[in-house]
Amino acid sequence: MRGVAIIGCGMTKFGRREEDLVELLAEASLRAIEHAGVSDKDFDSVYVGNMMAGELVHQTAIASSLVDRINLAPAAAERVENGPASGASAFKNGLLAVASGAADLVLAAGGEKMTAADTDVITDLVSTMTHPIAEYVHGVTLPAMAAMLARLYMERYGLTERHLAMVAVKNHTNGMKNPYAHIQRLCTVEGAMSSGVIADPIRLYYACPISDGAAAVVLCPLEKAREFTDKPIRIAGFGHATDVQTLQEREDPAVLKSVKIASQQAFKMAKLTPKDIDVVELHDAFEILEIVQSEDAGFFEKGKGHLAVEKGVTALDGELPINPSGGLKAKGHPVGATGVAQITELVWQLRGEAGERQVKDPKRAFACNFGGFGNNTVIHILERAW
Amino acid sequence: MQEKFMGFKCRKCGRVMYPRHDRCLSCRGREFEEAELGKEAALVTYTKVYAIPEGIEMPPLVLGIVEFPGGVRAMGQLTTDDPKIGVKLRPVWGKLRKIGEKEVYGFKFEPVEKG
Repeated sequence: MRGVAIIGCGMTKFGRREEDLVELLAEASLRAIEHAGVSDKDFDSVYVGNMMAGELVHQTAIASSLVDRINLAPAAAERVENGPASGASAFKNGLLAVASGAADLVLAAGGEKMTAADTDVITDLVSTMTHPIAEYVHGVTLPAMAAMLARLYMERYGLTERHLAMVAVKNHTNGMKNPYAHIQRLCTVEGAMSSGVIADPIRLYYACPISDGAAAVVLCPLEKAREFTDKPIRIAGFGHATDVQTLQEREDPAVLKSVKIASQQAFKMAKLTPKDIDVVELHDAFEILEIVQSEDAGFFEKGKGHLAVEKGVTALDGELPINPSGGLKAKGHPVGATGVAQITELVWQLRGEAGERQVKDPKRAFACNFGGFGNNTVIHILERAW
Repeated sequence: MQEKFMGFKCRKCGRVMYPRHDRCLSCRGREFEEAELGKEAALVTYTKVYAIPEGIEMPPLVLGIVEFPGGVRAMGQLTTDDPKIGVKLRPVWGKLRKIGEKEVYGFKFEPVEKG
């Protein structure tokens, strides 16, 4: 396989948007194409991460619609669906297309339009990711699964609700510095801890909002990247792993084994260890997940992730900044967009283009995107190639 | 109406699983027979859900994961508002929720009375 580089990226502001899904995808894609300086080039392939356009906006085959809108035909185009990891899966498909030699210029985009639907409808649609017989019929929701995981952590590792609030406060603080973030509002530990309970012990402030938005990146062979940019980002490694579908059937319901395996695969491919990583984006659809992923990805010892939050290790100016973008919590979580938006944030960070939220001189970055509740995980490791 | 909470036992290696898989999680065996998981199970974790899905009558919906003596776990609704980790529960058949106009039945878990 040949080396692959990201040569440009772009995204829309996340939040409640008037534009339709394809308009959002077009806005992000055109920004990425201009950022990469390839406006006059022909693309070979387009991958679009999207979870539920058919269900939410009554539009299917959106990749065909995107290439039409921004005149990328005759590029091959397809939608990639992998639950809330549709974005990272679209990116991975783009990576493989270039690595294999099948494509030389690829657009990987992701987007979702969610705010036009009622919260009940979104909650139910997302719940359909769970096992139809062993989970869904019982009324389980994703917040309920996060709650049961959080309670296990409280019992076993001494996690308290305050730690969940501290992750939320950190991510809101970072989101304040991100002009693309959905939520630009500071919150306090006390404020978070007095927000409404969704599924005890998960409160509103320990969960991500419902957002619209899109993000896109441009990929090409590493050997050609310098023709387009002085600051190419190399994809050093990736990993993708699954686990049994239900939370209860996992060897240990408190361990996200798919995160462990996918992370190990990515580190092995990159010939790196967690200590080599300077900045991280994790999938904090719920703040408990940021803590658990930070451990199972190998950054902290099992059961100690909340202590790292307490000590400020994961803050913007800490030893290992996690979610400088504000994470899903503050930046927002338009599900199909999230994986690509994580990559976009890390490209900006590595290139020193992250503005007020710039982490100090990062060289290597790590992204974790979740395609279920811990049963399907896509990991990417990026590094500067200059 | 079902009386026993059944799992699926691999005819090749004997591993009991719930829910059903078409290949055994241990040995990839393809043949299974139904096996009762147990009369009682211990509560592993739980939550009280206030943002409830449509078709559930009233919040909070109390959900938990229980572990049967052989180690097989299941998720389900709890009939108590005061769950405690480790408490013994037994499966009871009942109405779970409505999905559209259809009423769905299945096992819930109720505390085992003392004495």
